[in-house]
Amino acid sequence: MLRAEPLYRIQLMMLASEAQDAALALARFGVFNPASCSVAALAESPAAVYREAWLEADARMSKLLELCGDTGSLHLPEDAEAPSLADLQELNNWLKQVWVSCLACHESEAKTEDARAHLEALEETLGKLERLNVDLAHLLRPGSLLSVNIGSLPAAGLKRVTEALSMTGHLVSRFDQVGEQVFAVIAGPRARQEEVRGLLAQAGWREMPVPDELRTHPQAARVWLEEERNRLNAQSGAECQILDGLREQFGPRLHEARVRLALARPLAETALAGVCGKGGLAALSGWIPRRQLDALRETLDARFHGRYWLERHEPTSDEIAEVPSLVRYPGWLKPFVPLVKSYGVPRYGEFDPVLPFAITYLLLFGAMFGDVGHGAVILVLAATLFRRLGRMAWVGIAAGAVSMLFGVLYGSVFGYEDILSPLWLSPLHDPIRVLTIAVGFGVGFIVFTLLVNARNKFVAGHIAEALFDSTGLAGLVFYLGAVGSVVSLAGGADVGQASGLLAGVGIVTIAAFKWLEAKAGLGERILVTAIETLETGINLFANTLSFMRVAAFSLNHVALALAIFTLANGLDAAGHWFTIVLGNIVIIVLEGGIVAIQALRLMYYEGFSRFFSGDGTEFVPLRLEGGVRA
Amino acid sequence: MSAYLNTRVSLFSSQLWLDGELDSLISVPDDAVADALTRRGLPQLAAGFGGLTAPNQDSRSLEQRIIAQVLDETRVMIRPLSGDARTFLSFWTARFEISNVKTLLRSKMTGERPAAVLARLIPMGAFGRLDNQDLAHAEDVGELLRRLEAGPYAGVVRNVRRAFEESRDPFNLDAALDRGYYESLTLRALPVEKAVGASFRNLMANLIDRINLVWLLRYRFNYKLPPAQVYYLLVGSRYSLPGTRLRELAALDSLEAVLAALPATWQTRLSGVTDIPGVFARMEHIAAEQALRVLRSNAPGIARAFAYLILRERDLRAVRAVLRGRHLGLAEADIRLAVQRTPAEVA
Repeated sequence: MLRAEPLYRIQLMMLASEAQDAALALARFGVFNPASCSVAALAESPAAVYREAWLEADARMSKLLELCGDTGSLHLPEDAEAPSLADLQELNNWLKQVWVSCLACHESEAKTEDARAHLEALEETLGKLERLNVDLAHLLRPGSLLSVNIGSLPAAGLKRVTEALSMTGHLVSRFDQVGEQVFAVIAGPRARQEEVRGLLAQAGWREMPVPDELRTHPQAARVWLEEERNRLNAQSGAECQILDGLREQFGPRLHEARVRLALARPLAETALAGVCGKGGLAALSGWIPRRQLDALRETLDARFHGRYWLERHEPTSDEIAEVPSLVRYPGWLKPFVPLVKSYGVPRYGEFDPVLPFAITYLLLFGAMFGDVGHGAVILVLAATLFRRLGRMAWVGIAAGAVSMLFGVLYGSVFGYEDILSPLWLSPLHDPIRVLTIAVGFGVGFIVFTLLVNARNKFVAGHIAEALFDSTGLAGLVFYLGAVGSVVSLAGGADVGQASGLLAGVGIVTIAAFKWLEAKAGLGERILVTAIETLETGINLFANTLSFMRVAAFSLNHVALALAIFTLANGLDAAGHWFTIVLGNIVIIVLEGGIVAIQALRLMYYEGFSRFFSGDGTEFVPLRLEGGVRA
Repeated sequence: MSAYLNTRVSLFSSQLWLDGELDSLISVPDDAVADALTRRGLPQLAAGFGGLTAPNQDSRSLEQRIIAQVLDETRVMIRPLSGDARTFLSFWTARFEISNVKTLLRSKMTGERPAAVLARLIPMGAFGRLDNQDLAHAEDVGELLRRLEAGPYAGVVRNVRRAFEESRDPFNLDAALDRGYYESLTLRALPVEKAVGASFRNLMANLIDRINLVWLLRYRFNYKLPPAQVYYLLVGSRYSLPGTRLRELAALDSLEAVLAALPATWQTRLSGVTDIPGVFARMEHIAAEQALRVLRSNAPGIARAFAYLILRERDLRAVRAVLRGRHLGLAEADIRLAVQRTPAEVA
């Protein structure tokens, strides 16, 4: 719970033809995090083609599902095997055939839709041409010296096309616009018709076929248009039937294909990290928890009956940066994990801060927002919104409960301080004590973070930093000495001389370490050492004072309630209670929100930044459904 | 913010290669290439050139590394920008993504494997707006174009599908994409020109006029397209060569006639040029001189940043030529000829 589980790096070697089943077994096993394979002797990538086929098949499957709808929930049989490469390629080809059929239907439907829109435009056009009293039969006669085109093009290109066509003696006459399409008549010398063909194609010109019927009597044209519309409707219905037929015909097999693709996914996903091999041999690399090794062997024995070779070793110092962190948390602690992960993931071997975070965060929140009534409201709200907030609701419930607890200690109920007598102290009546406790808590917290950091550095093999750096034991010695000196100056204890000595030893050690670490010329080295040593003192001082906000907010809470009572007391009965209710809502929403953020800020900046690099890699196991991150 | 950008541009501009310095890259020993590249702020290129005999060195990865370098520097310069200037500079990087679109379209025409084409695409990093995985797995050109039409480049791809359906000619696709891109770029440049003034406008003018003249010559005399189609394929321009002038030029029958019909200042600039590559080289040289003037002036930050990017890309093209030449074992004199950036007539 306080640090990541010890892991083994494993290398599973097997026949390349069984690699998909090995990956499937590892996915079913559930605690294998794939990693890149780095065996120089196994330079080939036997799963690359498998992954490629799977990606193609998966893309086609997604498109088909989008078009045909879901085929139902996925159930993967326990004893099902992963498809071989040949099976997967066959499946991919079948999916391609189905998709091409669907695409043809889809495309045909889109074209019918297009034609229908065009027909409607044609009808409108006919109306306009009728009003223009143009003899279309005469205008469009084939033997004429004048070549006439009627059609449409995108409105944005009209000006350019008009200019370009003017170079060939053609005129463009626009007579209508429907949406982004402009309808126009293009007329020019028939001899130069060839010259404009390429230009019109490039410009997205769409010729409007004017049938013979349209060239004669307007009534006959209307009849033709109606017939054409009926034909398109019938055609559209037929295409829908084809698509429905495809769904019926392919539906069950499509579901089976989904199952097979899901079974093939583990190897395809592992191949992304890197499956290496040579000849008929393949190797899968990754990380598993140390305590699961025997269970893994049993799983592999049951499946492969000894046709495999499993190597394992502890992470080497070269590998340590890439080892993923797997930390198991008890259920009650899990709601706090996202709050820590939003800062970062602990490195393998680093102290995991979730438990101290949970305790300290709740303590800080309660201390800054101690009120039985307000805490109860937060608790009830979080419980009510449990379905919506999910696991995070527990953070709200716990914060509310701790707020209530501190409310009892402070003797505060919805800001009233005379209902309950304080079990411990009332912040407003004893502010100096509250400030002293807050700073004392801060000192304890900073000492804890310095110890954790020294431990982390020690585990990572950075012994010198653990001992002599400003965030290591030397920093701790200096800090304790400085705190002792301040306490002595304030008259709290008589340890001035010893504390001064301790602080002196600490700061000199830090300065010497900084001097040795700085790789620069003499002047720069002096400057760096002086500034960094000074910064150590200032930072620790500022970080400690930062905890005074805990006291400030607890005082603020009472002061805000007092302000509301003062306002309410100046009003009549209705106004009084209205102000009290509204004021309490403001306190809960506004101050509650600020306190929640301040507590988080204290944890992140005064705590985590001191010992928690947050640049670790999360353990992402290969699973049967879902995937491994790229 | 402008102080940040100006400082950044000034720092970056110290990394540009003068002609003589580029020459030294040609003659430097193999094991000193990485060092020379690092000194010029090209760590992405240096990383791949630990030794020129490294087996993993190939021209494609070099291309990708060069573009990664440009994108990295653009990302730094774009940081303090907002509004139209930011939109413009972001869209300037979209050329690389349009090039990816072309690669994807060609791969669909040739039936190339998605995995193979994905490996050839330029990684756009934070500037990427397309889902390459999704596009690479489109079944054919039609499906790919429909997907593109629903994406961020709908404006650029508009008409492309219909043009392709009409002709099935890959040239139509490329020409329509290029034109669509530069039309969109000039639209995005307009508000910046208004806000910044002559320094930025001159850079855009040099760019668009060069593109239009070179395309006009290529389409007209290499591809033998009719004048009207040539004019249609050019970028709508509001600079030195406006539409009326371009129509006149497109109607002419020879390279010489086109050059003779150019404005007097252009004729002086292009004197002695006899072929299309010569026109391109001379105009690029003029554009680079203009960019250098803007870079060294106290022009607004966005103009200096744009000028820097123009010069940097020109530099990197030359560096790529040198590295490829070295890799292929070409003679130093041949490499020098290939990367000659100052046309002989100007020098």
